[in-house]
Amino acid sequence: MNNKTCPTIVRILAVLLAGIFITTSHARTWTSTDGKSMQAIFLGIEGDNFRFKMRDGNQIVVPSDRFIKADREAAERLDLIGDDSFTKASARQIDTLLAGNLKEAGFSSFNEPLPDDLFVRRVYLDIIGRIPTKEEFLEFAESARPDKREALIDDLLLSPGYASHMFNYFADMYRLNASEAFVNGIRMDPYIQWWRDQLRANRPYHEMVTDMLTATGNVGQNPASGFLLRDTGMEFDAFANFGQTMLGIDISCAQCHDHPFDEWTQGDFYDMAAFFGNTQRSLGYRPAAAMMGGGMIEMPDAPEGWKKQFENYAVEEHGIVLRDQSDRQFRYFVQALGWNISDNETLETVLPHDFRGSGGKPNEVARPKTLIGNAAKVGGKTRREAVAEWLTDRDNPRFALVIANRMWDRAFGRPLVGPVTDFADSSIRGAAQPETLQFVTREMQRVNYDLREFMRILYNTRAYQSIATEEEPDWGSDYAFQGPVLRRMRAEQAWDSMMLLQHGKEIDEKSGADGSFYKAVLDIDFNTMSNDEVWDHFQAWKMASGRRMGNAVLASEGSMTPTVIDDNDLRASELAQPYTNASMLDTFGQSDRVITDDHNYDGSVPQVLALMNGNVTERLTGLSSKVVEDMEEYDGPDDKVRGVFFTLLNRFPTKDELSLGTEMIEDFGDDGISDLAWALMNSPEFLFIQ
Amino acid sequence: MDHIASLAGKDSLSRRYFMEMSAKLSLGVGLTVPFLPRQLKAQETGKAKNLIYIYLSGGMTHLDTFDPKRGDVMGNTETIDTVVDNMKMGQHLSGLAQQADKLAVINSMFSTNGAHEQGQYIMRTGYEKRATIVHPTIGPWAERLLGKKNEVLPDSVLIGQSTSNAGFMDPSLSPLPIANPSGGVPNTELIVEGDRFSRRMEMAQKLGNQFTEKFKYSGPDSYVEYYKQANQLLNSDELSAFDISNESNAADYGTGRLGQGCLLARKLVESGVRVVEVVSGGWDMHVDVDGSTATRIPEMDKAVTTLLKDLESRGLLDSTLVAIGTEFGRTPDINMNSGRDHYPAAYSCVLAGGGIKGGTVYGETDGQGKKVKTNPVTPEDFIATIGHGMGLNLEETIYSPTQRPFTFGDKGKPVTELFG
Repeated sequence: MNNKTCPTIVRILAVLLAGIFITTSHARTWTSTDGKSMQAIFLGIEGDNFRFKMRDGNQIVVPSDRFIKADREAAERLDLIGDDSFTKASARQIDTLLAGNLKEAGFSSFNEPLPDDLFVRRVYLDIIGRIPTKEEFLEFAESARPDKREALIDDLLLSPGYASHMFNYFADMYRLNASEAFVNGIRMDPYIQWWRDQLRANRPYHEMVTDMLTATGNVGQNPASGFLLRDTGMEFDAFANFGQTMLGIDISCAQCHDHPFDEWTQGDFYDMAAFFGNTQRSLGYRPAAAMMGGGMIEMPDAPEGWKKQFENYAVEEHGIVLRDQSDRQFRYFVQALGWNISDNETLETVLPHDFRGSGGKPNEVARPKTLIGNAAKVGGKTRREAVAEWLTDRDNPRFALVIANRMWDRAFGRPLVGPVTDFADSSIRGAAQPETLQFVTREMQRVNYDLREFMRILYNTRAYQSIATEEEPDWGSDYAFQGPVLRRMRAEQAWDSMMLLQHGKEIDEKSGADGSFYKAVLDIDFNTMSNDEVWDHFQAWKMASGRRMGNAVLASEGSMTPTVIDDNDLRASELAQPYTNASMLDTFGQSDRVITDDHNYDGSVPQVLALMNGNVTERLTGLSSKVVEDMEEYDGPDDKVRGVFFTLLNRFPTKDELSLGTEMIEDFGDDGISDLAWALMNSPEFLFIQ
Repeated sequence: MDHIASLAGKDSLSRRYFMEMSAKLSLGVGLTVPFLPRQLKAQETGKAKNLIYIYLSGGMTHLDTFDPKRGDVMGNTETIDTVVDNMKMGQHLSGLAQQADKLAVINSMFSTNGAHEQGQYIMRTGYEKRATIVHPTIGPWAERLLGKKNEVLPDSVLIGQSTSNAGFMDPSLSPLPIANPSGGVPNTELIVEGDRFSRRMEMAQKLGNQFTEKFKYSGPDSYVEYYKQANQLLNSDELSAFDISNESNAADYGTGRLGQGCLLARKLVESGVRVVEVVSGGWDMHVDVDGSTATRIPEMDKAVTTLLKDLESRGLLDSTLVAIGTEFGRTPDINMNSGRDHYPAAYSCVLAGGGIKGGTVYGETDGQGKKVKTNPVTPEDFIATIGHGMGLNLEETIYSPTQRPFTFGDKGKPVTELFG
């Protein structure tokens, strides 16, 4: 197998090496008030000065007041997010590569450039996951700044909505679900919170993946261990999910037989799975039968017998009755503490007794071996460390390609190679835009898996800033990316936009579910903590028990008093994960986070009934709604019509629309405003991102 | 584009057009998969056309209901006789005891899933819960294998839960969820009425037209279609199938969610819905089993007894399979909280109507209800038995979008002896 895949990798590497090197010659031009200019990379603001790197590598410091206003504004933005010289050079390179193929595909150029109003709605939805407010829309529409598009992209990438919207994507991809695993007594809140925190900090993606793959301990000690604990009892499914998310290969069928279409054998499946073969998820819980081996170990960092010892203490000191139903929270607490990830050398992956494929024999012990690419270096580290190192190694471009392709799909509505969870090497070879695929793969590595910077590149391309392709391309076709495709909002985008319409933009700052409470409660070191201290943690646990999953929050840093948020008017990322309580989120197809990438974009009759007659619609468009009240500031009916359009569709009404709307408001007053708002919410345009 | 009046007013549509449009109506039938009415296959096996699956969530205690024993394991529950000699029941099932000649009781159910989530999953889908795929419940399976049954109403309805899905099958096959049986179909009350509603729809449609003319995509087009369908539904008589407020025998079913759910199920089946699942909780009796059984069991007894009688008097019992399922039984040993804990090693499920041979007791446990002694039945077997009763082809392979093969009931063996 490795022999078969090697040529592809060699070819990709060859193209990458021969690709365009972005250098300081792409640096942006800075202009002084006296009309002089220079090309330089901006390094940051230092007091009243700007620091630059020149083409020759030397650094210079220049007083900020020497520059024209536009450059001073740019400096403030770039100081926060970093110089954009490479970003723009990279975006131009993508445009060049795509444009080269557009002609071949029969297009003279990209779609028409996106007008300002469509641009502002799209980037708000794409980057921060909600529509803009009327004020945000007008501010952009009226701005005369020459760099207003790049500035808005950067501002949005730096705003809290960016991480919120990114979280929704990864929550779907990695199936972040607070209640699923709790069936086994595993508390997932700290892991889900870890995801929020990583995205807010814009942590490099390969580091996050490494953390998830190599974590040890329980979710309190190490929240990233939630990734492996998530599928406790279903170890092979966990491995199949690893394949789909991180390798872009669906090998789940090879669990039972040779892969019918691809090159993998059943033996390959178990050999690759063996990298997780001595991963123990436990305490006192046996892994799936086929993974079974020698003796189980307890929590690796806890003293032997910690559980019995703590239980005895609780019985003696606090009168806990271990089997009593009224003390069941004590059981759950100890159980949750015990769920941890460790490496147990005595465990092995064993081929099933009814193994019938090739590449192995029934009941044989599988030896860890990579499915594609180079062999993993196994010496001196755990198997999971070895597989994480192999996966994220620069010589394994597949990992960078998988995440670059997914991020591309987020921006354009179509991946460069698909489906994103499962593509063979032959698909990479046969991709419609092989040079672009290779280039963005290299760019993902160049930006060191900084997803925010990667998205910044894509949003700055001319290809992205084109009007959406008006005719739906076939799924099987080789799409030329003359522009993004039309997409329906994700359920979370619809929800967050409705929250915005109801509450305004402070919704971005409002926090809800916070797993740091359970992280604090479960972060226990039996080597250093006294039983009394652990007992205090249990008291905190008990206070939060019975609250809805994921909604108990930490009142303040270091506190273990849970505060329960009963307010569900929060952005989707701040709600219990997933939030399924008969909500619009569910109606609009939010994934229930059982399997990967399970969001559904279809319409349905119940969905439109909810839009037509639901409580939310009445709250958003009724007489006492924010949109109707906001129109008081406008005098004439035509301005009110414009205001309603700015609020809901973020565009100017056409002439026809203006006269229709004006008529409604003239005839029916505030009822007419309410009717118009209802109509805009109930037109397909509201739900689509063009 | 039609004017709203022609959409909203059923009178202006010819009956034929209405039927054609209603074919896609759906409350779920999607546009992505064209509606292909498949003729019902000759039903080689079972004769049930409909299914009412009463799912008792939490784990119904087998000893206090359909598998009573002697001695300590019974706690304070007494055993009563039924109209069938060899069928005994717990004291709270006095109504069903009189209907025993309609029932086939399986006392040899066993499962390997001791947790609610996994246990319910397999008892409702016939498949072990996995982390890489979601399996459909019976409703979507039946629609997929038999074709859509009713042209206007959804093929399957889930009562007692607010969400549903069709697993790996097309989302259009999802059962319509009705969280509260007395609440009807959600969001079918207009916010504004009459001219004002027409005005709103008209404006929305004008906007919609511009948009769909610009973008030639199936997505926006499907929304235009769903709005048409929603308007039709709001004006259709079929909506009244979901309204149980005027049923004369509503009180006989009991006023709780389970009773009202069974009443709605009867009405829906009568109106042409194929599969109705009624999910009802409160069976997880870890504490004070006596107190819990004294409320839950009579509630269930009343609901199911009335349902069977009602179906019979309407001539629907022969064509409607009624099933009672649960994820596991409860421990024969009563715990220190006077409760019973989870017990998957032995439990009971019940079938009636739909060609079931009444008065049957299938399988048995030992003298304490702890171990299955004869004729063990797995969850897969139970689901396959339901499928058999409904005439589903248990051999037909359906592929998931990822090309994994699945069959109804995961190759479980139907208990054919239960059918007359």
